[in-house]
Amino acid sequence: MAEKSVVCRGICKSYKSFFGAEAKVLKEISLEVEAGEIFGILGPNGSGKTTLISIFSTLIYPERGSLHVLGLDASRRRDEIRKLINISTAKPNFPWSLSVKENLRHYGMLYGMHGSMLSKAVSDLIDTFELGEYTDMNFENLSTGLKQRLSLAKAMLNRPKLLFLDEPTTGLDPDISMKTRSLIRRIHDEQEISVIMSTHYMPEAEMLCDRVAFLRKGEVVALDTPQNLKNHLGLGERVVVFYEGPVDLKGLEMVQGVMSVAAEPGRVEMVIDRTRENLDRIIKLFSGAKILDISVKEPDLEDVFIELAR
Amino acid sequence: MSWRGESNRYLASAYKNWIISKRNVFTLFELFFWPMISLLSIGLLTRFLNVGPGMVSFLLVGAIALTILQVAQIDVAYVLLFDMWSKSIKNTFIAPIRSYHLVFGALIFGIARGALVFAILASVSRYLFGFDFRAGGLLPVLIFLAGVFAVAAVIGIIVCISILTFGQKADVAAWSLSGLILLVSGIYYPVEVLPPALQMLSRAIPLTYFLEYYRSVFIPGPHNLAVGAALAAMYLVVGLILFDRAIERARRTGILLRLSE
Repeated sequence: MAEKSVVCRGICKSYKSFFGAEAKVLKEISLEVEAGEIFGILGPNGSGKTTLISIFSTLIYPERGSLHVLGLDASRRRDEIRKLINISTAKPNFPWSLSVKENLRHYGMLYGMHGSMLSKAVSDLIDTFELGEYTDMNFENLSTGLKQRLSLAKAMLNRPKLLFLDEPTTGLDPDISMKTRSLIRRIHDEQEISVIMSTHYMPEAEMLCDRVAFLRKGEVVALDTPQNLKNHLGLGERVVVFYEGPVDLKGLEMVQGVMSVAAEPGRVEMVIDRTRENLDRIIKLFSGAKILDISVKEPDLEDVFIELAR
Repeated sequence: MSWRGESNRYLASAYKNWIISKRNVFTLFELFFWPMISLLSIGLLTRFLNVGPGMVSFLLVGAIALTILQVAQIDVAYVLLFDMWSKSIKNTFIAPIRSYHLVFGALIFGIARGALVFAILASVSRYLFGFDFRAGGLLPVLIFLAGVFAVAAVIGIIVCISILTFGQKADVAAWSLSGLILLVSGIYYPVEVLPPALQMLSRAIPLTYFLEYYRSVFIPGPHNLAVGAALAAMYLVVGLILFDRAIERARRTGILLRLSE
């Protein structure tokens, strides 16, 4: 059986300022990431996502707790781990005056690649990440989307078994974000690698991740598949009705299954548990009015996020 | 890993420094302008003071040594400075590398640049001031240069350790430390003219011994090259150990992340 990608127990981390003030960033984090899965670390800004990814990738060390990456003890076998992993960071940065190709060559050399192996890897990655037109362009002249693609290409140089992606689409235009997500999915499927990614974009996690862990103030507050999280939290569907005429809004709140009602003139938004079973009774309360539009939206991770972030 | 793969882990830093340097117009200032200013001002001073050939050699050796030292040490320091300025330190330290890969890789490029500067300055000083740097043969020149480059590596390591310990503001060390060397290691005067406390400090700096050795070719006098070589080797080994510890500490404190933000 393949080794788990990450097993951590009781990870704690705090940062100390120059004057000794201490900020606890991670508190007793324990979780396991299975081999081959795309695992999401979600949470609001400042919840500790980047710190956790940095610890998993051995970039920084925890204060307490144990960590195994790809079956290797991270307190003793860091060099071995570093050969098997790589990272694409949020806000990718590389030496400014090195071109796309030179940056890839430089980092390939740091991994001990050489000769035709290095040249082929660089050329293949330039093709895979559609950077061919920009091969000789300096990093400082690349657009944000191209920088992100270069960062992903760099992260694949050593053909890692475990890839860390720290907020891979932050700051990208929607279409570039979509392309980047497709690229991540493709890398995962074709190279059969495990991916641990942090994000605060819920649709991204929902689209890519097999399981997600929610962090809040440095603690894991939920960990499951996106679907199970939605089910377990008992989040209802969001029903929005636009109407003209009188409606018994008080009555809506009394209907079985209606979890909340938010009304404004001509529009009412309800969160309903098992909408299909209860919709008939709700519609009856609109009998004195004309319904202009009605929409039903299933709960998504965004709702889970809002619920958990409370 | 094959020897070629291992070599490339060293050469990676030399490659990066080479590309960045060749695209930076100010490299010309580092390689030609400031070294020439330094050499010419000292050379002309010797003419004004009307000193003998021995003293001309004494001062020009000092000027050349200081210039090469500054060029080579900044190349070693650049290995972290470039990463810090471009906020790409994370990408370097996620790779399975150690301090010696970074230092010796950057030093290779520093030696190349330093050797070029030495060749230029030695040629100019011979033509303009009659200083024959090969008067004692090639071996003293090579030993002298090896000593200067070893000291440059140690200073570069100290700069890197300062950055990893104190953060971005420590980059001022990159340009300050050679000033201390200028003051105490006998660049322009014998260390005997220093106050006793500074003389002790100068005796702890390997460059003092390498300067005395090379100058003894032109002005016969005592030197203790073995002590200089031993000190340089010791500082290099201790420096690399401390550099590795500074990297580990930066990983523990999280400063490695802050340097990338």
